[in-house]
Amino acid sequence: MLEKITIPLEALNLPTLIPMLIAVAGGLTILVVDLFKKDLDKSLYIVLSILFLTMDLGAVFDLELNQRGFFNVMLIDGIAVISQIVMIIASGLFILFAFSSQRFHEYRYPEFFALFLFMTAGFQFMVASDNLILIFVGLETASLSLYTMMVLHNKDKSFEAAIKYFTMGAMAAGFYAFSAMVFYGLTGSVELYKIFEVLHMRGFEPMILVLVASIAMLVSFGFKLAVVPFHTWGPDVYEGSSAALAGYISVVPKVAGFVVVIRIFEGLINLGIDWIEYILYGIVVLTMTLANIWALVQNDVKRMLAYSSISHAGFVMAAIMIGTTQANSGIFLYWILFAFTNLGAFAMLWVSHKRDAKYHERFDHPFEKFSGMVRLMPVGAVMMGLFMITLAGVPPFSIFWGKVYLISSAVNAGYIVLAIIMVLNSAIAAYYYLKLVVHMFLKEPITGRDGSVYMANASTSLKVVLGIAAFFTIASIFFVSPILDFTSFYMAMSGF
Amino acid sequence: MELFLYTALFAPLAGSLFAGIFGASPKNIITGLVTSSLIFLSFVSSLFLFVHLYNGGEIVHVEMMDWIMAGDLSVPFGFVVDNVSSTMMLVVTLVSTVVHIYSMGYMEHDKGFNRFFSYLSAFVFSMMVLVMSDNFLGLFIGWEGVGLCSWLLIGFWYHKESATWAANEAFIMNRIADLGMLIGIFLIYWNFGSLQYDEVFSQVAETDTTILTWIGIFLFIGAMGKSAQFPLHTWLADAMEGPTPVSALIHAATMVTAGVYLVIRANELYSLIPEVGYFIASLGAFVAFFAATMALVNRDIKRVIAYSTLSQLGYMFVAGGLGAYWIALFHLATHAFFKALLFLGAGNVMHAMDDELNIMKMGGMRKVMGWTAILMIVASLALAGIYPFAGFFSKDKILEVAFDSNHYILWGVLWVTAGLTAFYSFRVVMLVFFGKERYKDFGFHPHEAHKFMLWAMSPLAVLAIIAGFFEHQFYNFVTGVLPHYNFSEEIHHVVGQLILVTTGIALTGIGIAVFSNMYREGVFSTVLQNNFIYRFLDNQWYIPKIYDEVFAKPYIELSTLLWNRVDVKIVDATVDGIAKFLHTTGEKTRGMQSGNLSHMLRWVVAGFTLLLVLAVVYTYYSI
Repeated sequence: MLEKITIPLEALNLPTLIPMLIAVAGGLTILVVDLFKKDLDKSLYIVLSILFLTMDLGAVFDLELNQRGFFNVMLIDGIAVISQIVMIIASGLFILFAFSSQRFHEYRYPEFFALFLFMTAGFQFMVASDNLILIFVGLETASLSLYTMMVLHNKDKSFEAAIKYFTMGAMAAGFYAFSAMVFYGLTGSVELYKIFEVLHMRGFEPMILVLVASIAMLVSFGFKLAVVPFHTWGPDVYEGSSAALAGYISVVPKVAGFVVVIRIFEGLINLGIDWIEYILYGIVVLTMTLANIWALVQNDVKRMLAYSSISHAGFVMAAIMIGTTQANSGIFLYWILFAFTNLGAFAMLWVSHKRDAKYHERFDHPFEKFSGMVRLMPVGAVMMGLFMITLAGVPPFSIFWGKVYLISSAVNAGYIVLAIIMVLNSAIAAYYYLKLVVHMFLKEPITGRDGSVYMANASTSLKVVLGIAAFFTIASIFFVSPILDFTSFYMAMSGF
Repeated sequence: MELFLYTALFAPLAGSLFAGIFGASPKNIITGLVTSSLIFLSFVSSLFLFVHLYNGGEIVHVEMMDWIMAGDLSVPFGFVVDNVSSTMMLVVTLVSTVVHIYSMGYMEHDKGFNRFFSYLSAFVFSMMVLVMSDNFLGLFIGWEGVGLCSWLLIGFWYHKESATWAANEAFIMNRIADLGMLIGIFLIYWNFGSLQYDEVFSQVAETDTTILTWIGIFLFIGAMGKSAQFPLHTWLADAMEGPTPVSALIHAATMVTAGVYLVIRANELYSLIPEVGYFIASLGAFVAFFAATMALVNRDIKRVIAYSTLSQLGYMFVAGGLGAYWIALFHLATHAFFKALLFLGAGNVMHAMDDELNIMKMGGMRKVMGWTAILMIVASLALAGIYPFAGFFSKDKILEVAFDSNHYILWGVLWVTAGLTAFYSFRVVMLVFFGKERYKDFGFHPHEAHKFMLWAMSPLAVLAIIAGFFEHQFYNFVTGVLPHYNFSEEIHHVVGQLILVTTGIALTGIGIAVFSNMYREGVFSTVLQNNFIYRFLDNQWYIPKIYDEVFAKPYIELSTLLWNRVDVKIVDATVDGIAKFLHTTGEKTRGMQSGNLSHMLRWVVAGFTLLLVLAVVYTYYSI
């Protein structure tokens, strides 16, 4: 006869679940509202989403650090908290993009906003756990929502992108499951700390299996973070999604990916598996360099930004590989700074989005579209120029500080060659960012007589987002130090 | 007292920012009124501080905040109001107030009215920082600030090619000199470990003379640029392209005297290195003479006055160089009053003549602008050094110093210059206000300036007349900080003769100017005008030409050479090569991104396989 199992409610430590539950509840609320009253204006849903995200954020701030909950699968450590904060704030800013002045297909569906909140909850689960199964569940929840949101854009390109993303994602999920299986087989646990413990105890025998599991995991997250050679979906997906969603994809899912990679691979490297470090080194260098070189030859600004995001992700991967406390605090510093600037750049693309306007038989945002922009719309051109030179890492704007910090952490940890490669890559990157600046400031306009196209999709809230991004970018010199204190505190709390 | 200090310092800044808000909008008289009242407020505060010190009050010294704290270097943002700086503050704010009010009339039809007042007040702020700072770095900030404002104001009518050129010339000349000044400041920090005046000057006595000499030379190079001393003098005459109130304020009364102020401020340093002092005095005497000769023949009313400014700055440097710092400061103050007056008078004339500057086209204008004529004659008498006008007292003291310290050659040069000064000032007065009304031939219809502009000038006129009588009070006041200058016993016996001789030559100069103009319109005959000396002087001793040939042209040649050979062929080629290489690599490998889903999946699997192979190899070898 089965024994009756009783679990006291306190042992579940339910408060650890509250943030995610708020997001899920938000999604459900939106669906229920739609059930009762059809054809409500999108702005209601946007505001509801922001409301729930704000509550979510509040709940995250309220979390007590370093506790476990819900059958010990939840792990609330510093890195979980800070990554959730970053993701929620970025999501809140990106959902404002939906306040576009033109009507788009996807925003007509309340499901879009519900999916958005489910996706956020998924990412939150992913970062707040060290249980391979829960991470997987979170990952898939988020990914499936994302695929669907992409398709809702309802253009041939977006179907194509979503199918590609989905197929690749399925394959990555397969690798993940395979890897988790091997780890389980080796150690009899799906808890990361347990896995490391057992691996260490057994002296990593049999080594080949440990490596196979690690490789499969690497492939899976290589896909998620779009590192070379698993990046191929990136540009197509960016191109197929709306600029708003592309901006989102370039920032938020990667935060979740970074956290899991930090948890798994820094653990493995710390255990002393040098091989992982070498492989990561190679991947980092390839990702930074090749993505930069490909970005050079793009004809479309969005695709260029896609490759540039890949390259920036490579920078952050370098910090993960270095793994010192300085590097780890730098990861979030870099990504926060990058998030705001990238937000601005994609927002500029998004406000210039005009349905049915064609500048090129294939691309929505060819470089030519921005030619001579400074004559037609000086403020817009200056803004875009600002984001471009910031992405290129020109002082004193935000990303410069992130780069300096990461490169100095590389030097301090003795990775001199890596530091040099990082510097060289920053130089190459300046080339393609400045290409857009050259188009905007030095070429003759060809898009038409007036500059209205550049603000075709603008609305007050989009301008506010742009203003926030620009302000943050310019004034970052004053924020860098507090942000760094903040990230260092949380990273130190979780022992990285 | 701190409140007065901050008011005096920041009121001009507030005015500048206020006017700056309206910088791009059309003329608004409010900006003029607000900036003028704020400058006046600053003047009143300076007056309070002055009176406070005059009545034996404490020197006001504040540290507003920490400014630069890097390692051992600690430079607080501090200000000091002592006897010297309060004198400077009073002069600066007084002339600024007058010029601000005057400008409301002078610039009334100008499109950039608001912008003008913004710049002008910004200048006053920078000048206040310069004179009030308690350390060399703050002084340097003010120094650069006035340079910037001077650039903005000379080039105020930026659509005029000549104005932008003159602005750039002034700026670049000053930058060259500023390099010297910076080196001086570095040397000070290097040797004394501080930039605070009091800390530095308390240590100079124990320091090696060679080092002090170098510091003195480099600081003086900075002073030469700002005060337009030979060979960096060319910019001052060209700076007359700016609006006339600017010339009065910046290029006569205040900014150009910053160099003299620096020498006075660093008197503890310069009194230890008399050789450098002697060099300064000699250069000053040379410039006094040199500039006066150029003023003799020039036909541009503003340029004549500009050369005269140059010449008077030379006088100040003679006094400063010979250790008579209080006399240099005294001449600085009196000169500020009468020279600003002279410039503003010239502004009235220019305005009446629709910006015509050629004095040969004027004449007989006293009939239409009597008050301006009187004001300018007062200023010219003061400049020529006629008793009882202000210039008499201060200039005479300088000549006395030169004679007393046995520098008879310097005295001789200055004595001749005094005659030249009297001559050229009255040549201008005669050609403009007396004689035949030549302007009628050119179709001008001059008219007197606004009443309020004349009223604004009146305080300067009063001071140009009476300032000299306060010599003793001035002496007692500033020697509270500055060293005394001890005249020898013998000088007392010859003072009477010296004054007589100097007044004699001044009166002779005036006489020649007056009579030659009566005898022949235009002062110089055609025969004289074809004389080599006349042409030599008219071409400014051919110095601009020499600069052009010796510096500008070879520099352009060198630049072209470097551009064609080094930059294009080596630097550009290398950079382009790298860029091309990267671009080609990108083009060749972009095939990886074919957009084909099957290919994408294959890449993933290929990556996985590669990693797997590496893993196997690693495990095999590590066992």
